Amino acid sequence: MEKNFDTTDCYLINGKLALPYTYFAGRVGSTFITTIRDNHKIMGVKCPTCDKVFVPPRQTCERCQADIQNNWVELGNIGKVINYTIVRYDDKHLPRKAPFVLAMIQLDGADTPMVHILDEVDPDAVIEGMKVRAVFAEKTTNTILDIDHFAPV
Amino acid sequence: MKYKKKNRNVGIVGIGETKFSSHREDVNQPEMIHEAVRQALDDAGLKIDDIDCVLHGNMELFEMIHQPDLWHVLGTGAYGKDSFRLTTGGTTGGTLVCAADNLVASGMYDVVMAIGFEKLQEGHTTGGITNMADPLWARKLQTGALTAQAAVKLIDEFGAERARRAAMTYRIIMDKHACKNPNSHRAFGLDWDQMDDLIKNSPPLIGDLRLIHMCSQSDGACVIIFASEEKAKQITQTPVWIRDHITVHREETLDLHNNFYPNRTTHRFAAEQLYKRNGIINPLEYFDVFEMYDPSAWWGVDWLREFFLLKDDEHLKLVENREIMIDGKMPINPSGGVIAANPIGATAMVRTAEAAKQIRGNAGPHQIPRPVNHALASSFGGTMWTVLTILEKDLNWQGGDHE
Amino acid sequence: MSEFYGIKIEDIFNSMKDRFRPEGAAGIENTFGYAIKGIGGWKLTIAKGAMAVDKTDDLSGCDVVLDTDGETFVGLTIGKVDAMSAFTSRKIKVKGAFNTFGLTSRMFHKYMTPGQETRQAQEMIALKKTISVNQRFATGPVFGKFLKGLKEKKILAVKCPVCGRLQSPPREACAICRVRNTEWVEIGPKGEMRMLEYCYYASPDPLTGETRETPYGAIGILLDGCKDEEVFWHLLRPDQLGKVKMGSVLNGKVTHGTRLRPVWNERRTGTIEDIKYFEIDE
Repeated sequence: MEKNFDTTDCYLINGKLALPYTYFAGRVGSTFITTIRDNHKIMGVKCPTCDKVFVPPRQTCERCQADIQNNWVELGNIGKVINYTIVRYDDKHLPRKAPFVLAMIQLDGADTPMVHILDEVDPDAVIEGMKVRAVFAEKTTNTILDIDHFAPV
Repeated sequence: MKYKKKNRNVGIVGIGETKFSSHREDVNQPEMIHEAVRQALDDAGLKIDDIDCVLHGNMELFEMIHQPDLWHVLGTGAYGKDSFRLTTGGTTGGTLVCAADNLVASGMYDVVMAIGFEKLQEGHTTGGITNMADPLWARKLQTGALTAQAAVKLIDEFGAERARRAAMTYRIIMDKHACKNPNSHRAFGLDWDQMDDLIKNSPPLIGDLRLIHMCSQSDGACVIIFASEEKAKQITQTPVWIRDHITVHREETLDLHNNFYPNRTTHRFAAEQLYKRNGIINPLEYFDVFEMYDPSAWWGVDWLREFFLLKDDEHLKLVENREIMIDGKMPINPSGGVIAANPIGATAMVRTAEAAKQIRGNAGPHQIPRPVNHALASSFGGTMWTVLTILEKDLNWQGGDHE
Repeated sequence: MSEFYGIKIEDIFNSMKDRFRPEGAAGIENTFGYAIKGIGGWKLTIAKGAMAVDKTDDLSGCDVVLDTDGETFVGLTIGKVDAMSAFTSRKIKVKGAFNTFGLTSRMFHKYMTPGQETRQAQEMIALKKTISVNQRFATGPVFGKFLKGLKEKKILAVKCPVCGRLQSPPREACAICRVRNTEWVEIGPKGEMRMLEYCYYASPDPLTGETRETPYGAIGILLDGCKDEEVFWHLLRPDQLGKVKMGSVLNGKVTHGTRLRPVWNERRTGTIEDIKYFEIDE
């Protein structure tokens, strides 16, 4: 495209945005993570009004705004893939080297899916409805990656 | 700038504020917000289903989270509703009030809930603010919102001794107010006999700006519910009316680092325009309270002159004679102001919320001990931007200079 | 007496080893001194993710020293006393960088009195991260021309064709008159100081994430050829911080500030760093 101004003096300067921050998981989020870490158990919360089990857990029901933070429900470590994508590029912010699979996994007994890494499977062999189980991490990071990944049952 | 009369009147019908503190490890962002949402709904006697639209705002980059409005639906109650995110820097809370007022006044929605929040403990405030600056020049030079320029100018004009005492008097008054407000993040119990010690010994940040002068970094949320006149009168006995508001921006200012006085300020410009079009001749006489966005004691003192269109040292005298105290002639920030609590995205909205509570007469222990009918609230942000809002107890004001 | 709120001061120091969080001490190399009035001194050394605490009255080698009384110290430790309030009311004094002590809060688990551990508060997860994103900025023709000028040791400004205002660094338009700036003029490179921001506060440089060295001076300079508010924003030579005077214009009355000149970098690449800083022009 022809520019209608002189571009002789236009150039690019490399820059950076680097800043520290801290994320507080809160009481509900901390319980979720520490239970995965210490007991290898995945917990959700249930809204009795809407009859929905949410994973990851939350303090309030997004629909009726009821306080549900104490309605803990223990879920199994088994669920099914309801959707997935194959990550085919590498970036320093990604948890794995490409190619790897990120899947929406709905645990048995839960009404909401959660995103996690699906491993121990050829990316091209993943199908919707595939039964998967949680594989827990050996080393804790105090994050959702205390579940290292999910793998086909 | 053309300004048209409102299509219909808008009232504040519900207010919620969390307690402000240095950190909230026990809740994540949507959980913290929800505390204020719940409070505001209860205050208005409404259910989330009664809200037509949710506005959400905070500073970009402060918690290092993008599009928090999506994630926060858990706490905001925006599920299945119209929702907009606003982020205009320090003025965010003020802009949320303006936008909510405009949305209801226009007839687009009858009931709008506006939410301002910040969890500053999660990010790096000064680093975040520095990042708003021009990446090719000013990022290298800026130190967030920390600056001693107001101090330099006050000292130049009135001498070091008088200027420093005025700033510290302002600071101690704000702390005395903060001690009355149960939501304050910082309330030290400062007293007059500490004046000389604090002037000399509080750790310096930049030049004459010391730690004690500067606002805190706080966590917290503020929620205000707005309704059309018809709805507002159904919802509550004590709606507080938004009479008018003005927003004034200026260019990104690489030239702020001067010592040229008097310089143009958006505060004075905004005040002049707003009073003129509302027929307010003497703002100091007219208003019963002013909740000012005062990021530091130095700015607080300096800006009194701008907002009230004062001359010479009239603003210093207001401070020196302690007429800005809660029982004084012109109470400034009975809440303790921004120095007492600064969850930035909520801060400017807290000014309107606190001014509205003063008009309702239920501000709590920091209620002004005489009737409050007319209130002013300001916001500050960006590179010297201003939002200024007038609140009224009664729907009885005269037309003013509208088109 | 060395017991306050039912807690012995010695227990707080003796339990530090058990409460230590190596992950919280990563990258920290500091010695902290604690001078507790009438009770004694302790020296905490943090290096390479390890800690040592010694009872000693010789705190002379410490990077920072906290000077306080026993009651305040215990109060701070168990959260009964607010650090900022104690600081403001002079109950604690800090020798050295006052914010360094903030580091200790993340290096140790909270102190619990014996027997209290069993009913310990719930563990709250806090993840510390640094966001780091590479960026590329396009200068555009106007800022690009200005930066190119710096390479040739020239400071350029644009002039508004309507109000005549000079802007440097330059902008495409005069925002006040809403017209395109077309005329270029060379200004400075010498000028007088109009504003000094004497920075004690160590903030991060967002371009690197590194903490800036303090103190430093950010300055507004009225370069020769400029007037009124047309100041240029840069840095002052750090060792001249105490030797300069600000000029001003107060209701028309002019007071001149210290004359300054730029110190150019040998290698200039067309960035703000082509000028190292400004120094006194003698």
